[in-house]
Amino acid sequence: MDEFNDNEITKLLRLKRYEQPPPGYFENFLHEFHRRQRDELLREPLWRICIDRTRDFAASFNLSTLTSYPAAVTAVLVCAAVLSLRIYQTPAPATVAATDRPVLVAPASTEPEWTLASPVATRVFNTRSLRNMTKSAQTHRSGTPRYVLDSVPVSYETTFKF
Amino acid sequence: MNPAIALPPARRLTDLLSSGPDAGVKSKRQAMDESRKDEDQQLVARTQEGDASAFDQLVVKYTPRLYGLVYNMTSNHEDTNDLLQDIFSKAYKAIRGFRGKSSFYTWIHSIAVNMTLNFLKKRGRRFQLSLDDVDSSIQSDKEFLEATASSSPVREADLSELQKRLNEAMMKLSDEHRAVVTMFHIQGMPHAEISKILRVSEGTVRSRLFYANRQLQNYLDEFRKNPVT
Amino acid sequence: MLAKLAFLAAAASLSAQQTPESATSLSREVKDVFDRCAKAVVKIEATDQHGELSGTGFFVDPTGTLYTAYSVGGEAENVTVEFKGKKYPARQLMADLRSGIAMLKVDLASPALPIGNSDQLEIATPVVAIGYPLDLAETPSFGMIAGFDRKCFGGYFPTRHLRVNLPPQRGEGGAPLLNLKGEVVGILLYSFENNSSCYALPIEAAEKIRADFVRFGEPRHGWIGANVAEASAPVEGSRAVTKEIMKDTPAAESGMKAGDVVLQIGRTKVHEPEDILDASFFLTAGDVVPITVMRGNEKLTFSVQADFHPASHPRPPLLAAPLSNRAMPLNLQSAPERTP
Repeated sequence: MDEFNDNEITKLLRLKRYEQPPPGYFENFLHEFHRRQRDELLREPLWRICIDRTRDFAASFNLSTLTSYPAAVTAVLVCAAVLSLRIYQTPAPATVAATDRPVLVAPASTEPEWTLASPVATRVFNTRSLRNMTKSAQTHRSGTPRYVLDSVPVSYETTFKF
Repeated sequence: MNPAIALPPARRLTDLLSSGPDAGVKSKRQAMDESRKDEDQQLVARTQEGDASAFDQLVVKYTPRLYGLVYNMTSNHEDTNDLLQDIFSKAYKAIRGFRGKSSFYTWIHSIAVNMTLNFLKKRGRRFQLSLDDVDSSIQSDKEFLEATASSSPVREADLSELQKRLNEAMMKLSDEHRAVVTMFHIQGMPHAEISKILRVSEGTVRSRLFYANRQLQNYLDEFRKNPVT
Repeated sequence: MLAKLAFLAAAASLSAQQTPESATSLSREVKDVFDRCAKAVVKIEATDQHGELSGTGFFVDPTGTLYTAYSVGGEAENVTVEFKGKKYPARQLMADLRSGIAMLKVDLASPALPIGNSDQLEIATPVVAIGYPLDLAETPSFGMIAGFDRKCFGGYFPTRHLRVNLPPQRGEGGAPLLNLKGEVVGILLYSFENNSSCYALPIEAAEKIRADFVRFGEPRHGWIGANVAEASAPVEGSRAVTKEIMKDTPAAESGMKAGDVVLQIGRTKVHEPEDILDASFFLTAGDVVPITVMRGNEKLTFSVQADFHPASHPRPPLLAAPLSNRAMPLNLQSAPERTP
């Protein structure tokens, strides 16, 4: 019986490297990354940003986590001062990102079509999906089972072959 | 590929965005590895000192590679894009704690593989294929030309049908098996590197590859019964 | 005079029936269905590769055979079924991705839900689902048939599904969908539009799979090897034209040709390419199915013995493949056998 041996499979797999995202995707990626960073910064409450920055700062000096209250408070105050300066220096695009946000959240109701991807710059991608999954992971970890009700069929057809 | 060791400040984006297939010749790979490691070390050091633009260069440098890794594990462009953003975001937050025990390459690939595996676990079997187009540069690939030369019975359409079946077969593999297949066969990573990234022995990597190959073989053999006209 | 009185009495009693009685009769019917059928519906708990899960299933015979969703019982281990307050271990009889269901078996004498007929359903027919949402007890839901859908999320369901305007809850995957006679007409599988609505597999599709299991021990999806597309103009009422007959397939062997307009497959009349999906789903590998086509002005009928669907597990082909006719998809060099 004719069979694909490892070499044939290997060659077919190597050709998969040519499956590439649309032109301009990589060039645009960095812009998207910056925009998301600014978004996150604007969304996070100030106190948490301070704690995170303090933790990173402490980690760089190999200090144990700041469990002492006075140290934490001092750190937060110092952070707040530093952070307010940084935000002051952030250029205008930050506010543009803020107004962009509602648009990003909107597509939850639109049905994703199975078309090959259009350039990221013009496509409003739904980051909600990953965040929802993180949430469900948390409830899962607490010991409750996953209550099954699929939202997508386990099997589908795309052609009229029979 | 640029063999530069020192990093000139005004480097062109197009140089870093080169995502062509790896040469595969061992000595050339070793030379590339060395220069890449040095470059990474410098960029990481600058990032840790507070130079965010250095991290930008790492992002630009690693996006094409990580894209290939994540995309071939998820078979979905949108999910890949979301994951890549999260991967670099996590890396940026964690980079202060990066001590250089492993190379940055290994470190960021570890983050990428683990986040993708976690994502796949939560996504489960229900997914939507969202496959990228095949880039036209495939026309100059030696193996592609061999497979579709006019003297053989195969035409491009047959090959694309096979590629489709292969994509389906890949999704039938377990997430862990798909990960090693992607890293070894598609990304061209050596066994040693894969074992460092997954924190398993090289023997485990080899046996997973063998098993996965057999599974893929079986799936494609089925479709042989119904070859394309 | 007497006749008039009788007529008036009859009229009076009729009008009496149209007052409060009819309004409560529906709620009574629904409650009846729940009271009669809930005991045959069970909570299923199991573990799969993602962790612990919980879903719903229901008995269809007195020996503990039950249906559930594939996501509940298809790939799970340590399956337990909660029945009358006690937990029983269950084993998997079979699981079928294409239909989205699994069949389990519990060793006990069970109440069974009677099987109904989804062909009798119409838009706005009232239906009841009974399931185990979250960690709650058996719960009824009420709704109505909203549609018979083929399309889903950019692709097609493997066979038409019932769209039901009934709000499903997590944990109800695998719940039975019942008509007001208390007969199962579908299996609740997928939520739709943020759980405001849902999709159910028609019970006939599940029963096809069960019949395969009884005959062969496994689902046997059939395949004949034709690809159908939409014709620009209907021929004898059908727009489904064969665009390709694949090599070495039952369709090719039977004499079907590209260009044939498909009119009927088995008992299913075909009017458009989407009808193929339903007909295809009900093909069984090994069974002979008559296929009627229009070729030019001629109406032809072919007897085609369906082969195994390519998506099935590897099996030897039913038709012996002639050695000389074997196609070579890739002319690549073979490598020496790899030693494990």
